[in-house]
Amino acid sequence: MKPRHPHADLGQAPGEEPISAPDLKDPRVVLSVLEADQVVAAKQRTHFGRRHLSVGVRIMLWGLRIYVVVMLIIVLISVIDAVRSMP
Amino acid sequence: MSRHPSKRRQDSSEPSFGHAHPTTDIAAASPLARDLAGLLTHEDVDRARDRWAVRRARWTERHSKIAGRLSVVWLLVGPGVLVFLGENDAPSMLSYSATGARFGVGFFLPFVVLTFAMGLVVQEMTVRLGAVTHRGHAELIFDRFGRFWGLFALGDLVLGNFLTLVTEFIGIRAGLGFFGIRPVLAVGAGLAVVFAAIATGRYWKWERITMALAIFNGLFVPAALLTHPNWNAVGHSLLTWLPLPHGKPFDILLLLLADIGATVTPWMIFFQQSAVVDKGMQPQDIRVGRLDTLLGAVLATLFAIATIVATAPLYQHGIDASEFQAAQFAEALKPWIGHVGAALFALGIFEAGIVAAIAISTSSAYAFGEVLGTGHSLNRPLGDAWPFYSILLGSAAAAAALVLIPHAPLEFIVLMVNVIAVLAMPPALAFLLLLVNDPDVMGDQVNNFGQNLAAVTVTVLLISAGIGFGVATILQAG
Repeated sequence: MKPRHPHADLGQAPGEEPISAPDLKDPRVVLSVLEADQVVAAKQRTHFGRRHLSVGVRIMLWGLRIYVVVMLIIVLISVIDAVRSMP
Repeated sequence: MSRHPSKRRQDSSEPSFGHAHPTTDIAAASPLARDLAGLLTHEDVDRARDRWAVRRARWTERHSKIAGRLSVVWLLVGPGVLVFLGENDAPSMLSYSATGARFGVGFFLPFVVLTFAMGLVVQEMTVRLGAVTHRGHAELIFDRFGRFWGLFALGDLVLGNFLTLVTEFIGIRAGLGFFGIRPVLAVGAGLAVVFAAIATGRYWKWERITMALAIFNGLFVPAALLTHPNWNAVGHSLLTWLPLPHGKPFDILLLLLADIGATVTPWMIFFQQSAVVDKGMQPQDIRVGRLDTLLGAVLATLFAIATIVATAPLYQHGIDASEFQAAQFAEALKPWIGHVGAALFALGIFEAGIVAAIAISTSSAYAFGEVLGTGHSLNRPLGDAWPFYSILLGSAAAAAALVLIPHAPLEFIVLMVNVIAVLAMPPALAFLLLLVNDPDVMGDQVNNFGQNLAAVTVTVLLISAGIGFGVATILQAG
């Protein structure tokens, strides 16, 4: 799996013990342990594009949405009635 | 392992960052290292500190397998434990209390195990999504499905979260009310704990503080032991699902559906994925992430069963607990578990409310931050990410205030909260399944056949429960 990049450890030979108190003021040290798209600046600049929604997926999403809205309205009315009838 | 194809779209208005999808690259070795080095934030540095600790533990693992492995597990557990113990919130514990008081030890014990197993299947997918994409759930939905569907998902989450938060503060007030603490002080104490947890400005500390609080969900275990349960009956029911519950079929059906439907709520999906991202977990951590989720599910199941067992004496002695609220369960149990046991029970309700209030308000804040594009990490100092923390504290404070308003429609909210959570689950699960089966998002961590079979089975069950619960609620109210 990882690391596949021999330079990732920045001066550490493979298998060498990581130093106990890394100097995190050094950006190279920070970058050496984070994946590139884990860095906030990279995440802000790269995005997953919109996926194509097939007809089937659209129908499913709309069906679920209509279900939620309709049920919510019915349940809301029913619960208001129930609360009003409480002593 | 090979990783997913580079199909992320770059924002054309932003400067080019070269490789658009560098998930597999350690940042220092990626083509964009020089650009990134000048843009590192406090959040990145804190996350790197946590990652360094994990790297060190993995190095130790090579030389001292047990110590190293334990160290890795200790460093990486958190989101899974928190999400499941957070799900054992005040209304859930009251629901388990009502189950024990109305049906005793029997069918519902193995049923609770089944519902948590279903929750485990769902939550495992959020671990993979978070570790692979480093994106929160709301962000991914907006990215992949667009603003239109994203706003619907966010709307469901925000509404459900706020109402659930109100019920948590009802639990906090009721739990401390057992000790004679005035509501305003109880609710104020709850808010103070939420603030204390985030004031550290560090995800790691927030997680450890909240986990330390969450362990007190186990207070229901000594409360159960004080009832001197019949272990043969407990074991028998766990193995045979017997005795079956007796009573009005409609009431039993409603409780069954409510238990199924409330097992996995939308906030859990959003929370765990965002927490996995904030913790900085990477694809190689998924195995431990699964273990973390399993540990959370096992603990939550154990504590839920303990709650049912603790209130079973009310059923055995024919006490009608149908109208009981939190503190009333504790009071009613005094003859069997004494004042100490009742106090443990009340404290357990308080703890359940506190931990859930922390987790749910954080879930709302994560989602808003991801969608608004503002800082949304517990690794950010308070002043640096004030919109994030304002939403977190503001939602908790608004819920707390509502609980203190005289004649506020709390019964209405309590009735509505489970229904809304259940109704919102089918769309939330649909988005989750679509994302986790999307190779452009998940790469080789996409669901396999077995995972899809389990997930689809659970989804169909939960959707059926949602529909059934909604219909049953309407019929009951009518």
